[in-house]
Amino acid sequence: MSDLGTIALMIALAACLYGTVVPHLGVRTNNWNLIRSAQNASIISFFLIAIASGVLIHALVISDFSIFYVWRNSSVDMPMFFKVTAFWGGLEGSLLFWILVQSFFAMVVAFRYQYSNREIIPYVIATLNGILCFLLVLLLGWSNPLDLQATIPAEGRGLNPLLQHIAMVVHPPSLYLGFIGFSVPFAFAIAGMIRGKLDNEWVLTTRRWTLVSWYFLSMGLILGGQWAYEELGWGGFWAWDPVENAAFMPWLTGTAFLHSVMIQEKRNMLKIWNVVLIIITYGLTIIGTFLTRSGVVNSVHSFTQSEIGPAFLVFLAVVLVVGFALLFRRIQMLESEHKMEAVLCRENAFLVQNVIFVGMAFTVLLGTTFPLLAEAIRGTKLSIQAPFFNTIMAPMGYVLFFLMGTGTVLAWRKSSKESLRRNFQNPMITATVGTIILAVFIPFHLEAFTIFWIAIFVTVTILIEVGKAAHVKGKQLQAGPLVGMIHVFQRNQRRYGGLVIHLGVVLMFLGFAGTFFSEERDLTLEREEMVPLNAYYLKFTGVEQFQVRNATHRAAVIEVYDQDKQLLEVMKPAKSFYPTQPQPLTEIALRREFLKDLYLIFSSESGADSELVTIKTYVNPLVGWAWMALPVFTLGIGICLTYRPRSLTSRQKVLRQQYIAAEG
Amino acid sequence: MWKSWKFWTVWATLGGLIGLFAFGFTTDPKKVPSPLIGHEAPNFQLVNLWNGESVELSALRGKPVVLNFWASWCVECQQEAHILEAFHKRYGETVSPQVHVIGVAIQDKSEQAQAFARQFNKTYFLGLDNTNGDIALEYGIYGVPETFFIDPQGKIRFKQIGGVSAELMQEQVDEMLGQG
Repeated sequence: MSDLGTIALMIALAACLYGTVVPHLGVRTNNWNLIRSAQNASIISFFLIAIASGVLIHALVISDFSIFYVWRNSSVDMPMFFKVTAFWGGLEGSLLFWILVQSFFAMVVAFRYQYSNREIIPYVIATLNGILCFLLVLLLGWSNPLDLQATIPAEGRGLNPLLQHIAMVVHPPSLYLGFIGFSVPFAFAIAGMIRGKLDNEWVLTTRRWTLVSWYFLSMGLILGGQWAYEELGWGGFWAWDPVENAAFMPWLTGTAFLHSVMIQEKRNMLKIWNVVLIIITYGLTIIGTFLTRSGVVNSVHSFTQSEIGPAFLVFLAVVLVVGFALLFRRIQMLESEHKMEAVLCRENAFLVQNVIFVGMAFTVLLGTTFPLLAEAIRGTKLSIQAPFFNTIMAPMGYVLFFLMGTGTVLAWRKSSKESLRRNFQNPMITATVGTIILAVFIPFHLEAFTIFWIAIFVTVTILIEVGKAAHVKGKQLQAGPLVGMIHVFQRNQRRYGGLVIHLGVVLMFLGFAGTFFSEERDLTLEREEMVPLNAYYLKFTGVEQFQVRNATHRAAVIEVYDQDKQLLEVMKPAKSFYPTQPQPLTEIALRREFLKDLYLIFSSESGADSELVTIKTYVNPLVGWAWMALPVFTLGIGICLTYRPRSLTSRQKVLRQQYIAAEG
Repeated sequence: MWKSWKFWTVWATLGGLIGLFAFGFTTDPKKVPSPLIGHEAPNFQLVNLWNGESVELSALRGKPVVLNFWASWCVECQQEAHILEAFHKRYGETVSPQVHVIGVAIQDKSEQAQAFARQFNKTYFLGLDNTNGDIALEYGIYGVPETFFIDPQGKIRFKQIGGVSAELMQEQVDEMLGQG
């Protein structure tokens, strides 16, 4: 069976090679049939890759341990759900998953834009196929999940129990979807540069790809944080580990790209910058993957170390070198037609914001690779920890956060003094008053209060913006503001969808601010004794042992009471023992409330009958709000996606008819 | 274009970055040199896993000591088990042992450690660290296996993080025995 999969992948590689080379010939000889054959090749390669994926999933389902990957990442006792998702749970399988999605995207793009982007689509197809060729070579050469092993063990090693968590099932594929999605705008930029067609069309065409990729990348990051928080048991959710940074860097530049393409669209500026950003963003997705798989930097994640590193580095070099070489070749074509008209205009707010985003990405890259740099230059080993990142990133983050509010109220081209005063006054006053009121209730902390101030400022600017527009529209339609608001959202989906996403960002920042008020305590609890903690009383009643799926849990039973000693909840922080794992794992217990989380970790027990337990406790205010950003992002992206550029749609129809008529 | 500073900055940056990553392959980020190297090995007393006899590190002066930290639940320890045993057969079981090999099990239970030792036919001195992990703390252990090479003067010469290979052990011991 596994041979079938490997052979399918080899034929797919041949099909992708065909798809890389033939479009060039098609354009050169002006033979559209050749290009069409390349389109068909992308269907063939997708189905072949799907077959190989099917073979692997089947092997996982039936626990066929003759395949090394299945043995390594699965075991008989694992629930079926995790057996199937082990497809992307390990190094090699996730590469196959990547290739599967990449080939699906390549197929969709090849057909979807065949009429609308006729001049460049052959090169888009070629670029995406080229990427696929590389990935397939990497997989077949160094990391084939279908490789067999000589002896067939009776039981597998099992998926790392830490990864047997719903967020970890969704997190890797959503990151990959984000990573892979950025290959589409990248391919369009490359194709445009090859062909010398660099108007705004590639930006418009790939707008939705960019948005969706950004969304999945954000989702991956949020879920990754949530998983770390709930599963790793150290009370936090972000540690600036190289693997986290790897996904964060393309997110930063991708967000910058998402904003700066708007300026190109609206004002025909920043064309070079946008091409640079998409090359960097795609490059960073590859750097990210490279860092996590090559083992060149130290990381707490054990998801590392494979022979694939050097090959990946070649891929990275090719992406960057080709991208920038083409850019320099076409740089004159990309010169802007417009210049900034004033200092205080939305374009400039976007530009500053862009510079900060890229600065942040650079900082993260520097911090992540600095141990390497230090070793190369001075021969010393060192490691860069969270304080470095926090010190530099936090202020930049706050400036960005503030700009998010100002960008909303500044006008394109030029803002008059009067409108500036009008637009800034109310939000600033509200923010200041709001922060002062908060200071009455909450102990003062400079950074946290900076965040609170900006959060109120941004929220108010957004609300005023939406409210004003809704009011005006409602009046026009002679209906209420609610009807007006619906119309406003329908008419300018991208702007208001974007503002909804900004509200999600506000939630995230509030979640970060909460970490400044986090309280950590180690409590030793005697049986039946009431111990006060924050606004609660905890009572330990005994140790319990029970089965959860394939693991045995040993839990401390803790009753949680409120101030009036009313029972709120029985919490069971536990250690879990998996049959295939030598060490117990921490299973935290979490009580979520609107304003705070109570987070318990079972550290140790003592006494013949476990009369004493030690529990590590955290009270984490606002952390849950950061996760709330995800549904808000989903709503915002949903609104944005309902927009389709009108000029593009009607042009598409006309072109399509023309081409079909011409081809008979 | 060739004279533009942007052009050269971009290529220099890209070249530097890729060069840096390529350099990354030549080093192992996990190999952080131990501050203990060149210093005297912290002394400890270790009780034998089988018969309750105990040994004190300082009493072994005059001969090199290979000090291996391991645990029965550790996969890499299984892989290096036969290498250590073969080494002990060659250097430690001679009439007058040339090298002492000592294994300290950490974060482990006595029965499980014994089962592991039986499974891999271990004959060298094995003991269990106490529940606080005092010996492991003294030596700054942050994972198993880790192996220290202590010279006849009682100074730590080398620390291996992760499994040992026969070549590595040979090389280190030859050096300490003055044959290297």
